[in-house]
Amino acid sequence: MNKAKEFIDRNLKGDPIIWAIVILLSIISILVVYSATGTLAYKYKGGNTETYIVKHAFLVFLSLGVMWAVHKIPYKTFGIIGKLLLFVSVPLLIFTYFFGSNINDANRWLTIPVIDQAFQPSDLAKLALIATLASFLAGKQRNIRDFKNTFIPVMIAVGVICGLIGIANMSTAVLLLVTCLLLMFIGRVPMRYTFLIVMVGMLALTAAVFFGQRGGTFVSRIENFISGEEIPYQAEQSYIAISTGGITGKGPGNSEQRNSLPHPYSDFIYAIIIEEYGLVGGGGVLLLYLALLYRGMRIVASSTKPFGGLLSAGLSFALVLQAMVNMAVAVGLGPITGLPLPLLSMGGTSLIFTGFSLGIILSVSRGDHEDAEAPIVEGNNRPRRAFQPA
Amino acid sequence: MNIKQSIVLRVRVAFIVVTLFAGLIFYRVAHLQFVEGEKWQAKSESLNFQYRQVSATRGNIYAADGSLLSTSLPFYRVVIDPLVAKQEVFDKGIDSLSYLLSSFYRDKSADAYKRSIKDARVSGKRYLILNRKQIGYQEMQAMSNWPIFRNGRLGGGVIFEKVEKRYRPFNNLASRTVGFLNEDKYGVGVEYSFNEYLEGKNGKALFQRIAGGSWKPVFDAEDVKPDDGFDVYTTLDVNIQDVAESALLRQLMSKDAEYGSVIVMEVATGKIKAIANLQKNKSGYGYSENYNFAVGDQGLTEPGSTFKLLSMLALLEEGKINLNEKIETGDGTFRFFDRTMRDAKQGGYGEITIKEAFEKSSNVAVSRLVNEHFGHQPKKFMSYIEKAGLNQPIGFQLKGEGAPYFKNPDERNWYGTTLPWMSIGYETKLTPLHTLMLYNAVANGGKMVKPMIVEGIAKANKIEKRFDTEVLRKSIASAKTIRQLQELLEGVVENGTAKNVHNKDYKIAGKTGTAQKLIDGRYTQRYYTSFAGYFPADNPKYSAIVVIDSPKGFNAYGGDISAPVFKEIADKIYSQDLEINVKSQPKFQFANLKTDEFPYIQAGKVDELQMLCNKFGISNHYNDGGEAWVKSTVVNKAIQWKANKVEAPTMPDVSGLSLRDALYVLENKGLRVVYQGKGRVKNQSINPGATISQNSVISLVLG
Repeated sequence: MNKAKEFIDRNLKGDPIIWAIVILLSIISILVVYSATGTLAYKYKGGNTETYIVKHAFLVFLSLGVMWAVHKIPYKTFGIIGKLLLFVSVPLLIFTYFFGSNINDANRWLTIPVIDQAFQPSDLAKLALIATLASFLAGKQRNIRDFKNTFIPVMIAVGVICGLIGIANMSTAVLLLVTCLLLMFIGRVPMRYTFLIVMVGMLALTAAVFFGQRGGTFVSRIENFISGEEIPYQAEQSYIAISTGGITGKGPGNSEQRNSLPHPYSDFIYAIIIEEYGLVGGGGVLLLYLALLYRGMRIVASSTKPFGGLLSAGLSFALVLQAMVNMAVAVGLGPITGLPLPLLSMGGTSLIFTGFSLGIILSVSRGDHEDAEAPIVEGNNRPRRAFQPA
Repeated sequence: MNIKQSIVLRVRVAFIVVTLFAGLIFYRVAHLQFVEGEKWQAKSESLNFQYRQVSATRGNIYAADGSLLSTSLPFYRVVIDPLVAKQEVFDKGIDSLSYLLSSFYRDKSADAYKRSIKDARVSGKRYLILNRKQIGYQEMQAMSNWPIFRNGRLGGGVIFEKVEKRYRPFNNLASRTVGFLNEDKYGVGVEYSFNEYLEGKNGKALFQRIAGGSWKPVFDAEDVKPDDGFDVYTTLDVNIQDVAESALLRQLMSKDAEYGSVIVMEVATGKIKAIANLQKNKSGYGYSENYNFAVGDQGLTEPGSTFKLLSMLALLEEGKINLNEKIETGDGTFRFFDRTMRDAKQGGYGEITIKEAFEKSSNVAVSRLVNEHFGHQPKKFMSYIEKAGLNQPIGFQLKGEGAPYFKNPDERNWYGTTLPWMSIGYETKLTPLHTLMLYNAVANGGKMVKPMIVEGIAKANKIEKRFDTEVLRKSIASAKTIRQLQELLEGVVENGTAKNVHNKDYKIAGKTGTAQKLIDGRYTQRYYTSFAGYFPADNPKYSAIVVIDSPKGFNAYGGDISAPVFKEIADKIYSQDLEINVKSQPKFQFANLKTDEFPYIQAGKVDELQMLCNKFGISNHYNDGGEAWVKSTVVNKAIQWKANKVEAPTMPDVSGLSLRDALYVLENKGLRVVYQGKGRVKNQSINPGATISQNSVISLVLG
């Protein structure tokens, strides 16, 4: 017992609660995906249900491995890596838009040659943008109100990336924009600038809606949701799953709606969780995400440097916001987005990127990567202070 | 407040917002469960559970010997959703798929198939019927392995739509009698008349929706199990039916007639062995079974001279005449009021006996006799019709039976001419089945049995209902009268209008009929010819009627048109039916076997030959082994089997084989065999070892 504890102490550094939450969610993920892929296995694999679960479990463990590997890297590195990746992701997104593989009428996927694995460059761009933004805002804390030198570069980076993602995948773009705005709010960017970026963002998104591949789908989904007259098929099936789940659910593997609900293993996995594990299970999953966010927030308080805090906050919020949006869609609080539920949904490479961002959060939480630099306190008599508006 | 405190505060604000949002989600879940719960649960049940119909299997229809006349088989229509297949699957498979479709259906070129599928794919049409032809189960299985199709419904977009179809193994044989049933539950024949038994009862069962959009039965006490239909056993004999149809068809074609019917019935039981009905197609070319003239409404006609049998019955039964009595027919005309009765022969028959008058079918004689004896009491004559059961429908097992029509002496349309014309088969309407029933009764010694076509209804081995022969009249006339009538009918074939069907092997008795057709109220030069009778006359086994409507050409008389068809059918039945053919069977005699000679078996299957030899105690040896077919050689009073490689792909050596074995071997290789002689194969026209081309003809000499 002690040896195990020693082993964990030695190898799993960082916040143990985060480790526990992630492992718990991974277990739930494997259970629910196994149940939810029954229909898929029937359709495409001649009823061989193991095919999907073996692949999914492998990816879950791989993402845990990535998380472990990443948490050993000093987080400061990610400021530089993030910036580099951001520059890489721009041409990658453009390339994907024109030459990527087409799934559901949108080019979101790019196949990496050699290993023949498709991934979404938007996942990479998202990670890169948050890391860059955190690093940039941390560096500019002393002249955070400088419109020209602080705000304009931020706006350009966010606008370009969100715009490029938006032409192929509007929901991800909007969510990323909101996450960035939240991060800017946390990073003390004045609110009135934020409103400006909202306006710019709206413009960019509108443009993307009209010129992009999935504009029609996006508009019709929003329209459907606002009018509320006709409940879409997916939503209806999802409500049935939720309401027939009851307080304690039908039990693991007993979902009925997985056969009629589209994408029960990704977009609507939360409905299946409630169907099988009831209100209790659904509430439990909500609490796990909130706990994850709370631990992420604790790191902000404990970190000695703004970069670490902002990085951890940005990534935690990005993850948890997406989770909230996904669950909101499943229960009918928002229009259908097609966003997977991070850590729970089946979904190839997204899992790896999730593991990557959790690894970064853990790396920040270790604390021992921090150098001994004194905390930056506002009011330090640095020369630039004078140029800041009062 | 320093930077860090500010950041921490802001993070907390954001956290609280997210927590509130999470609370909202939880509230919404609870709302869905507790407030809207019932609504969605009800919806769930209607979507995921359904009471669905479970179809009962329709019963089969069998012939008397157990041959299947009609059964239900699944057929499939091939439909494709061209949008389902992925681009690479589609591109890779479309060429070979179109080629296969084209060579399977043979109606459109491969390019045409390719174009129609591609067009549908481009235009977003999700349901393309590839061909309206329905395919069988085996073909469907083969087709599922074709490119694109092999990816299934969800990967390739192929849809095999199942259609339960009635299948008649004998195709059009007795097709109108076997009948059909359309979707509105209307139809004809046995299928329609016995639908209540055949259809069974559909069940209902609760089904749950499962993966792939299929439905799985959930076993439940509420289920109503389907009750499969009963099988119907008819009295039809496929061999007689076949003979009847082909004989009728040949005559119809040679006389270019409008339609014809044949009924063959077993005298003692009234079991119908064949009903054939052929009508000229609307196109004017060829004949097919479109209507059951033998039984149905449209088959009602003025019967003509076959009805004279009833007139004779009445006259004889009244005891008013003697068959050898002379009667003057004069110049072949006789005037009743304003109408002139004519005989077929120009100049008339002069003075003849009543028997001769019947044999020659003299209208003048019969009508004069009937008018003389019944003219003042037509009701008496009508009572004989009634006694013979001809005035009302039989109550036949098939629905849609035509009801006979007779005038009533009390009605205003009964004229002075009605009775004389009625006596020779005019001014009245009967179906061929009615007429046959009368002749059958005469053949049956006066006992009138009801014609029947279905003898039993059963499911599996359990008999549900058995239909026994129903006796309508124990005796339609005195024994003496019946004997005289039989004598008259035999006379028709021996000396009268049907002399052409007289033969030495067995006796036919019957009566010809030739009725002018009444069209739009006028008698025309078109005729309705018939022959009704039975055979063998000495011990009647079968009765039959042949009617042919509107034959073209000279000699449009019943004796020339219908009687030969009757004879052809009778000949075939006579030669096949052992029961009536007993006396002509030559006694089987063992050939003079030389017991001391070695029985020399030439060739055959080794296991059979070995068994035979061992039974007879003949020593035999087989050293080669393996090969199933052998030839024999004699080595020291024992037989040595030598392998005969008939299964090789080249032409086998069949010499020495019995014809049965040779046919088996050769036809399995796709050859067509003609042979002459008797015994074992002596010679074959294609040399052993030659390459075989399918469907080529090989002739064998036996001896």
